[in-house]
Amino acid sequence: MASLEIRNVCKSYGSVDVLKSINIAINHGDFLVLVGPSGCGKSTLLSMIAGLDEITSGELVIDGEVVNDKHPSQRDIAMVFQSYALYPNMSVEKNIAFGLEMRGVPKAERDKKVESVSQMLQIGPLLKRKPAQLSGGQRQRVAMGRALVREPKIFLFDEPLSNLDAKLRVDMRTEIKKLHQRLGATIVYVTHDQIEAMTLATRIAIMKAGILQQLGTPQEVYDTPNNVFVASFMGSPSMNLIPATVVAHQNSVAARLTSPQGNELILPLPQPERYQTWIDKPVILGIRPEAITDMSSAEPNNPWVFPADCQVDVTEPTGADVYVLTTLGGKEIVARMRSNCGAVVGQKTPFAFNMAKAVLFDPQTENRI
Amino acid sequence: MTHTTDDWRGWVRHHLPKLVLSPSFAVTLFFVYGFILYTGLLSLTSSRMMPNFNLIGFENYSKLWQTLNWQVALNNLAIFGTLYIVICGLLGMFLAILLDQKIRGEGFLRPIYLYPMALSFIVTGTAWKWFLNPGLGLEKTMHEWGWTSFKFDWLINSDMAIYTVVIAAVWQSSGFVMAMFLAGLRGIDSEQVKAAQLDGASAVQTYWRIIIPQLRPVFLSAFVVLAHMAIKSYDLVVALTGGGPGNATEVPATFMYSYTFTRNQMGVGAASAMIMLMTIAAIIVPYLYAETREQRHD
Ligand SMILES: Nc1ncnc2c1ncn2[C@@H]1O[C@H](COP(=O)(O)OP(=O)(O)OP(=O)(O)O)[C@@H](O)[C@H]1O
Ligand SMILES: [Mg+2]
Repeated sequence: MASLEIRNVCKSYGSVDVLKSINIAINHGDFLVLVGPSGCGKSTLLSMIAGLDEITSGELVIDGEVVNDKHPSQRDIAMVFQSYALYPNMSVEKNIAFGLEMRGVPKAERDKKVESVSQMLQIGPLLKRKPAQLSGGQRQRVAMGRALVREPKIFLFDEPLSNLDAKLRVDMRTEIKKLHQRLGATIVYVTHDQIEAMTLATRIAIMKAGILQQLGTPQEVYDTPNNVFVASFMGSPSMNLIPATVVAHQNSVAARLTSPQGNELILPLPQPERYQTWIDKPVILGIRPEAITDMSSAEPNNPWVFPADCQVDVTEPTGADVYVLTTLGGKEIVARMRSNCGAVVGQKTPFAFNMAKAVLFDPQTENRI
Repeated sequence: MTHTTDDWRGWVRHHLPKLVLSPSFAVTLFFVYGFILYTGLLSLTSSRMMPNFNLIGFENYSKLWQTLNWQVALNNLAIFGTLYIVICGLLGMFLAILLDQKIRGEGFLRPIYLYPMALSFIVTGTAWKWFLNPGLGLEKTMHEWGWTSFKFDWLINSDMAIYTVVIAAVWQSSGFVMAMFLAGLRGIDSEQVKAAQLDGASAVQTYWRIIIPQLRPVFLSAFVVLAHMAIKSYDLVVALTGGGPGNATEVPATFMYSYTFTRNQMGVGAASAMIMLMTIAAIIVPYLYAETREQRHD
């Protein structure tokens, strides 16, 4: 267990800046998930935490100590690689014990630790096998065992579940979560899967092109995204981003949207003082699909729920819910309704907009207002 | 009319690959396998200067094993083969590991090690003959530079001459072995090396415990290639020492040539050729068998 601080870390390969002044700090026992599109520098950041890659500038601090110049073996960090990187010539047992052996732990103690880790991960019967004789999920467990057995200060995971099938992925996700709760370990975890990110993280860092876009709890990131990129990256289906205009409305402030028929839709905004300077200016209204519902699923006592009739373009049933698509402000938007909400394609249906969950973005800078 | 030309075209298209391949197939069948059988037959006859078909059973073989020259040849092969394979293998692996350190100028260094392989053994042998000749090469140069006590006469020393063959052969082949190992090293997942680093393994431990054990197939391939080159080595010995001084560097291949074609003992020469064939087969057949079986497993 340890705290980790990344201070102004930059990384360049020649003239290419891969990471640009990253600042992240997490505490003991935090589960930090790094997400971002492919090539944004997640793995690079992870390698730099591990010490496998040199930092171009900036500081890496573990437990208050700058570790920039420490060799990976001395940072007391364990990593689970995407390819698992098990040593194919060694049995599972030897794979797990290798790190202890290299650190001069006596054989008897090694055996005991391997035993307890294999029990925790339920890989006892596999100990004598070679990695080639294991399934993907079993390999993944062994890779985790190899990290766990050393009881390091920090665990790093680089897309550990991306090679598994969907079912196993969900199971392993739960297990990693349990493991984190049981050990209280500090974890940095890279993933492409945002459900994984939301379920596992205590803090999420969203990156794009080497720049940190937002760092916060999953709820913060989800409810109050810093910019349009974060808003559209997190959540599935992603947040509706509707071109709108801020207008003065009944002593307060509202967003004005236009439907394809030319009708205007006025949706009052909470925290009017925030948007005073934006009156009569164009903005992007961000609202999550689950904040647009049918009337009966809307929160009845929420004063910020506003009904509006909209034309239904498409319905996409998912079983539990139905995604109802309509067009507003020239954009297709998605609402999440109950499956028996009675929306019929081509007809008008009342949509309930929960404006308490709405956010506004500056269309120029794409930052949240 | 057009119908028949179409037929003819179709026939050609269908049979062209076979037509093209059949001469080389026939030639291989005749010159390789035909002559193996022919040599096998000759080894059972009393052929001396010219082939005859007077069968005498395995007499040539028993004569062969009683020939002192053959024993010298086998002895030399044992020394040469062992040293050649071991040194080439270790040196090749060592060079490959050095080159694998992402050093600058790898693109420049790699061909330097590989170029000797492009030379024929005759050229290698001749070059090393000049270089090692005491009156011509290294020793003379050292004397001219003032190191008059320098002595390196292995080439004309019957106890040491076989080692000059080893030196020249290693020079020629270790670059090739290096390339084989380099390919093997490049095939290893770099994340394993990173994992080993995090596990606290030093570079030596990483190679010794994790990387080299994974190169087993490379060792096997290198062994097979080097072993059969060692057994059939002829041109290098001829160019470098001519089998001499005396018969000090006689190897089975030179023995076979001289008995078959210059000493009028064709039957014995053929018998020695069969022994060489069987030795090579004993190495290669299990290897091929293992390879094909592995492929079927995959
Ligand atoms: N050795 C290198 N030399 C030059 N550029 C590199 C090197 N390694 C990585 N990069 C670049 O750095 C950027 C970030 O790479 P990185 O592997 O960290 O991406 P990532 O976020 O992990 O992507 P993915 O999700 O696809 O794994 C990429 O644009 C990549 O091209
Ligand atoms: Mg990556």
